[in-house]
Amino acid sequence: MASVQKASVQQASVHYTTVVTLVVATCLASAAFAESKKEYRFTVGPNANVSVDTQYGAISVKPGSGNQVVVWATLKSDNVEVDQQQNGNRIEIASHLLEGANEQTGLVDYEVLIPPDATLNLHSSTGPLSAERLQGDLTLEGADATVNVRNVENGHVHVRTMRGAIMLTDVRNGHVEISSISGDVHLKSVAGPLVQVITGSGKIFYDGDFGSSGNYRFSTHSGDIEALAPADVSADFRAHSMMGRVRHDFPLRPKHSRFPVENGRSFIGTTGQASSEVVLRSFSGKIRLKQR
Amino acid sequence: MTCSDVERVLPELLDNTADGAFQRGGGALPADFDAHLKSCPACSELVSDLRLIASEARQLAATEEPAPRVWLRIAAELRAEGLISDPLVREPESTPARAVLIPTLPRRRWTSTAWWLAPVAAALLAAGAYVLSHKPVPQVAKQAPAAPVTSVAKVVPETPSAATHPNNSPSAPVVASEKAPQKPVRPAHTVEPAPSAEDQQFLSVVSTLGPATRATYENQLQAVNADIRETQAYVDRNPGDEDARQHLMDAYQQKALLYQIALDRIQ
Repeated sequence: MASVQKASVQQASVHYTTVVTLVVATCLASAAFAESKKEYRFTVGPNANVSVDTQYGAISVKPGSGNQVVVWATLKSDNVEVDQQQNGNRIEIASHLLEGANEQTGLVDYEVLIPPDATLNLHSSTGPLSAERLQGDLTLEGADATVNVRNVENGHVHVRTMRGAIMLTDVRNGHVEISSISGDVHLKSVAGPLVQVITGSGKIFYDGDFGSSGNYRFSTHSGDIEALAPADVSADFRAHSMMGRVRHDFPLRPKHSRFPVENGRSFIGTTGQASSEVVLRSFSGKIRLKQR
Repeated sequence: MTCSDVERVLPELLDNTADGAFQRGGGALPADFDAHLKSCPACSELVSDLRLIASEARQLAATEEPAPRVWLRIAAELRAEGLISDPLVREPESTPARAVLIPTLPRRRWTSTAWWLAPVAAALLAAGAYVLSHKPVPQVAKQAPAAPVTSVAKVVPETPSAATHPNNSPSAPVVASEKAPQKPVRPAHTVEPAPSAEDQQFLSVVSTLGPATRATYENQLQAVNADIRETQAYVDRNPGDEDARQHLMDAYQQKALLYQIALDRIQ
């Protein structure tokens, strides 16, 4: 009987110890992953230059009011700091990983408000990156980061990713240059004097009117290209896939060109007044130009 | 002495420099030449540059001096075309005048507008020698674009060499048909060639990001290299296909982008 009681007491003791250990570990873990929020404010002049650089985490940028740059940073742990610096009209915000930081503990999410005319540079390996309703030049770079740009006009938009998908919506009147190694690229209502997309294995989707007086060049190695345009689009089209099939359902007028046309692999033709030039190239993917 | 005076005597300076002796003070140069140089940084720099160029040109001329028969042939051609006549060199009184077939390039008095011809000619000689000694292979298929330079000094994507392009050997057949491109033949990619030294270095660098990240970059690199090989093979078969050449250039840009993204992450 005594031995049974002793065993019971020992079992209870072990149970108690386990619970205490778990509680302590949880508290320590909470401390280690203590999330904190910081706010930074800067006053700038016209055409400011704002850079935000983080290894891990999201960056979201929207227009603010007046000449203020406001940055809210959410740090996931004490293993990362935020460095911030203002040199005149130029502001640099950067995550600073401390010893032992990894993709979880080094993560910092940023929400940023900037003057609409500011030049913006964003970099995050993991992303996502987003910018909207801005009018300055934008550069967004990331490895796996998805990139989302909306309602941007008059500024140049440069995007580079390794495999992150890229989506641009309602981008007007600026040079658009997109490079990705394997990310898909979606362009909706994007028009400008130069719209260039190069991706290795990603697909390219375009839904828009190809503007006027623009130069559109979409190139993918093994991905497909699908372009959707209204029936009254005005453009010179040239499409060529070395190994894939090429199709269109526009009544294209023949156009003299130095490029040979191989049935099923390429087409060249004009619609409307040919105000824009559109070149669609894929090495082994399919190309399809469709009427909306 | 003024800056204009210095410009006027620069040909004299070049003559003296060509002789290896720069006469200060007396001789052919005005006495206050040095004094002006000390007080005028612009002229001082100009003279310094001129002396350096002339010195380099003299060394170049020593190595690139054409054989005498070249001058002989040029002189014969010029005479045949009536552009020159045999000059008569007045020997001592007792010696009758004789025709000189190969003039000994009499020392010229450089005019103020022609003094720069020496370094320019030297530069042209050097450039010509370089071009001749690096004559490109006259095949479009061999004119693959140079590998893009990344911002990283030590890790640079390889050039279109045999390392990434197994069909780039001299014996690789090249079909020069612009009008009728061959049906594309997708090369087999089942056998992945060994990574080049640059790629190995690249992968060792990204290894510091952890095994999963390394695997990601390794896959991306293999894909980009496969694109390059595939496109290069197609360009070799269809050297007149401008779109294919553009694809090849794009593929190299993709590789440069991959390097840059990876190294941005490390930094």
